Amino acid sequence: MSGDFILEARNLDFDYRKPIVRDISFGLRPGTFTGIVGPNGCGKTTVLRLLDGIIRPLAGEVLVDGGRPLSRMRRREIARLIAMVPQNGGLDPYQTVLQFAMLGRAPYLSRFGFENQKDEAVTLEALEMTQMTRYLHARVTEISGGEKQRLLLARALAQRTPILLLDEVTANLDINYQVELMRLVRRITREQNLATLVVSHEINILGAFCDRIILMSGGRIRFQGSVGETLTREHLKQIFGLDFSIRRLPGAGVEVLPVIHEETSHVSE
Amino acid sequence: MVSLVLAGVWALAVILSLNIGSVPIPVRTSLGLLADRLAGVSSGDPLEAVLFSVRLPRVLLGSLVGAALAAAGTAFQSLLRNPLADPYVLGVSTGASLGTIIYSIVIAGTGFATMGGGLAFGRPLAAFLGAAFTVGAVYLTASGGRKAADNSQRLLLAGIVLASFLSSINVFLLTSINQADLRGIFYWLIGDLSRQVDASIYPVTALVFAGVGILYIFSHSLNLIATGEEDALILGVEVKRVKTAVYIIASLITGAVVSISGPIAYIGLICPHMGRMLFGSDNRILIPTVFLFGAIFTLLADTLARTILSPAELPVGIVTALCGAPLFIYLLHRKGRDK
Repeated sequence: MSGDFILEARNLDFDYRKPIVRDISFGLRPGTFTGIVGPNGCGKTTVLRLLDGIIRPLAGEVLVDGGRPLSRMRRREIARLIAMVPQNGGLDPYQTVLQFAMLGRAPYLSRFGFENQKDEAVTLEALEMTQMTRYLHARVTEISGGEKQRLLLARALAQRTPILLLDEVTANLDINYQVELMRLVRRITREQNLATLVVSHEINILGAFCDRIILMSGGRIRFQGSVGETLTREHLKQIFGLDFSIRRLPGAGVEVLPVIHEETSHVSE
Repeated sequence: MVSLVLAGVWALAVILSLNIGSVPIPVRTSLGLLADRLAGVSSGDPLEAVLFSVRLPRVLLGSLVGAALAAAGTAFQSLLRNPLADPYVLGVSTGASLGTIIYSIVIAGTGFATMGGGLAFGRPLAAFLGAAFTVGAVYLTASGGRKAADNSQRLLLAGIVLASFLSSINVFLLTSINQADLRGIFYWLIGDLSRQVDASIYPVTALVFAGVGILYIFSHSLNLIATGEEDALILGVEVKRVKTAVYIIASLITGAVVSISGPIAYIGLICPHMGRMLFGSDNRILIPTVFLFGAIFTLLADTLARTILSPAELPVGIVTALCGAPLFIYLLHRKGRDK
């Protein structure tokens, strides 16, 4: 693989517990929005956790920032390079929105340190990018599900990392919030020149917003490339066992819709 | 800032507690005697003996013990992400008392009233081992053989069960000691500050201050762990290392003070709770303030305990348990409602 990747997975294997993943290799470039998609239990989230070093691969390695192995870096250093929005991010009920987002500055604080003005400015900027400034002093328990996801995204952005990983961030959100969030992530990816990777099973959402797609099933990468190359009827049939209708959108995206024959016949009754 | 105000409150509480007792010492007298002592003169006042050999040591001991237990409670609560975790509820205090009793009765064979010599170091050490053993056992019991004991409810349950198991061993061991020792040990098991203090106070004091200092260094990491271990990893915390260190230090502090005062109940629950209500959950603020809260609260509780039925004295543990148990029930109720 070429050297212009900011994050690169090389032949990752993981099988301490299920789901196992095998021979995962791909790279992320700055300014590119990549999506990993596949059926439940295919190992998407495991791949994401491997990339952030939360779990260690049995074989293979993750290289960051011009070829440095992730396994030899301290957590603090990793947290300055890779930000992640976890699937079930915890919220401390005593905290305000601003305090919670400020946790993203932790990798930059000194031992006895409190956040300084710069930390606060960076955090406010992140909250502004995610349109959360109007809730600054609200308790984290008082905001909605969609706002919670934006808050977790703001915390990740406050880390000021070149790499952003998102795990099923649109899960449990209404469709309008899903679209809003993905639009936001794509815009920030462009503006901040981030290497962004999102994991999701919402294939239609990823098809509409991502630049590149990695299709996984059974713990392996089956196809990867541009959205147009990967999201084809043949590929999706192989992975999901369903027929899909695929329509090219203006720009690079595609609209993917499953064709559900039985339901159609019910409607026509 | 807040810490300075609280330190002032603590000083006031000290002066108040010095004055109240079966022999009242007026404020002016005690301050005068303190000034004399600092200046190196002796006034020959009979109250001097009461002040310096009985009341002042007890007031300082109460502060130290309370501060230590409150800080340990704060640490355990962040670590286990559960506001109900406290050295007493988790069984750590009971484990420490078992360690002390085993050492005093079985290993040293001196019984409980004897003080000084090797006991000064042996007792705190044994208490720490007891505390550390209990933390390990609670953790293993809660994890049920699986790898991670992440479920903090299970952890608490395991703590409560182990505490009752360990206290039955305590009582079993006590059947072997003589009557004279029994009353003292009975009070001590409830948590008592009236016993005389030997040289063990020096290592214990050093340990408490050093330990709380180190806990403070980890305070922001604990904030992050409190939101979730995976979140903490993502935000750059070496979670395993911090958890191990904090477990050991909190057990060490608990063991150290329990070896002197016995397992005083619920201080580690009440004080962090008050702190969080007043100042929020940031451990960088909470740990120093709760440290002082613990000192103030325990001091006042002990003053109450030794005066309410004067001239008879109650063990301080009774007062703290009377305050703490209702609070525990309230927190449990609220936690259930939140879900």
